[in-house]
Amino acid sequence: MTSKIKDFESALTELETTVKTLEAGDLALDKSLALFERGVELSRFCHQRLEEAERRIEVLTERGELRDAPDSLQAAGDRDEP
Amino acid sequence: MPNLFDLPFDDDDPDSKTPHEPRPAPQPPDRRIFTVSELTASVRELLESTYGDVWIDGELSNFKRWRTGHLYFTLKDAGAQLKGVMFRSAARSLRFTPEDGLRVIARGRLGVYEPKGEYQIVCEQLEPHGVGARQLAFEQLKRRLEAEGLFEPSRKRALPALPRKIGIVTSLDGAALRDIVNVLRRRYPNAHLLIRPSQVQGEGAANDIARAVTQVTAAPGVDVVIVGRGGGSIEDLWAFNEEVVARAIATSAVPVISAVGHETDFTIADFVADLRAPTPSAAAELVVTRKDEYRQRIDRLHERLTAAARIGIRGWQTRVRVLEQRPGLAGWPVRLALRGRRAAELSHALADRVRALIGAGERRYHQLRLRLESRDLRRTLATIAARLTVSEGGLTAVMAGRSHARRESLGVLAGRLETLSPLAVLGRGYAICWNADRTTIVSKADAVAPGEAVRITLHRGELSCTVTTATAPPPPKP
Repeated sequence: MTSKIKDFESALTELETTVKTLEAGDLALDKSLALFERGVELSRFCHQRLEEAERRIEVLTERGELRDAPDSLQAAGDRDEP
Repeated sequence: MPNLFDLPFDDDDPDSKTPHEPRPAPQPPDRRIFTVSELTASVRELLESTYGDVWIDGELSNFKRWRTGHLYFTLKDAGAQLKGVMFRSAARSLRFTPEDGLRVIARGRLGVYEPKGEYQIVCEQLEPHGVGARQLAFEQLKRRLEAEGLFEPSRKRALPALPRKIGIVTSLDGAALRDIVNVLRRRYPNAHLLIRPSQVQGEGAANDIARAVTQVTAAPGVDVVIVGRGGGSIEDLWAFNEEVVARAIATSAVPVISAVGHETDFTIADFVADLRAPTPSAAAELVVTRKDEYRQRIDRLHERLTAAARIGIRGWQTRVRVLEQRPGLAGWPVRLALRGRRAAELSHALADRVRALIGAGERRYHQLRLRLESRDLRRTLATIAARLTVSEGGLTAVMAGRSHARRESLGVLAGRLETLSPLAVLGRGYAICWNADRTTIVSKADAVAPGEAVRITLHRGELSCTVTTATAPPPPKP
């Protein structure tokens, strides 16, 4: 049951199928418990992927070098939004 | 040379036929004779100085672009024609593609080509009449790229479900970048942004944008790119209508969102991009709205999952409770208690029974042992001895008979052995030659020397002899 999760999109698709199967009912108790566990695992994975990107702003120069963005930009979005 | 203006050439075109205005030949004040070259040079000087910078409205015909890059054409209207040329240096800045039948405004100077006596307009600028040159260029490029299929909906790629790194091409100082960063930071605080600053208006902007797009779409990890700038005049936005920008977007490896100007301005970049956003902020929202959507979708799925599991488990609980209430099951505890008591009783009975069985076994063993000891063993032995004696007599007789038979067959075998003996051969006249002391059989002539004694065994008796000659056989061939 606990096979590896490939990526965000496939995890989401599998989560949907799992929920539908579970909602359809008519399952043995251990089968439905296993599905539930898998579903929890999938939704946790999706949430993690949503939050895991790194907060960073970089500037790419014409020569292909990476620099940090000016402070004015780094600070943007932090203050003026409610 | 103002005197030339007095010539009929000036206000009365010698080529045009105007029969309704006949005029008497004027009398020249003095008779000056020009050579052709002199006159042409004068005309040239006159035309070039007078029409050094003119604007002409006319229709293009016989348009040709030479391999050198120079353009040749004729401007005409209902009544006249004028040859024109536009040299490569000027033609490079053309913002549209000239074609026959197009009404244009040309700006340039008149030039005279003396060897042929022709004059023409040397164009510095050429613009379509009516619509602006830019508008026409826009329409032409749009038509061309559309024909190439670059605007096909099938070419549009879906945005990544979750952008890992968002590329941005815009001016570092512009409001556009600030807007994008603000929106992303608000709605997707952990976004990773890669900005490739670019000039977005003025000379060289198009090339810079194109390079930036190519560079950032190829940067590792970038899976979506926003390219754009804030609103402005059509002039300001023009770089986004250039072919080089369109090409860079079209060949991008990752989806590109165009975000140029405001709602109503559509640029070529908008048509080529995978997605068009009316403003830079909108582009940022298009990228991260998806994250919000996903989060909600996952949360909803999680709720449904939990609910479904709860309902499922509750169903099983109910079934168990119902079964518990059934009379069959309800009686079980009492029945079990009864059975338990019965089991204990049986267990005791079993132990008693086993003990009884063991006692009986012991008694039987003692009885048997007593009976065994009471038997007279000596009588039994005598009987056995008598039987042994009888058996022994029989055995001797049998053995004697067998012995006789063996002896007879031995005689037969000896006779047969005799016929095989080498001594029997002597009876047929063969003899055996021995050395003197009869220890070795002489089988080779050179084993004895002349004068040596040998003994010969015959069938009956023996001879003692002396060797007179010993002749060895010739040596065997190798």
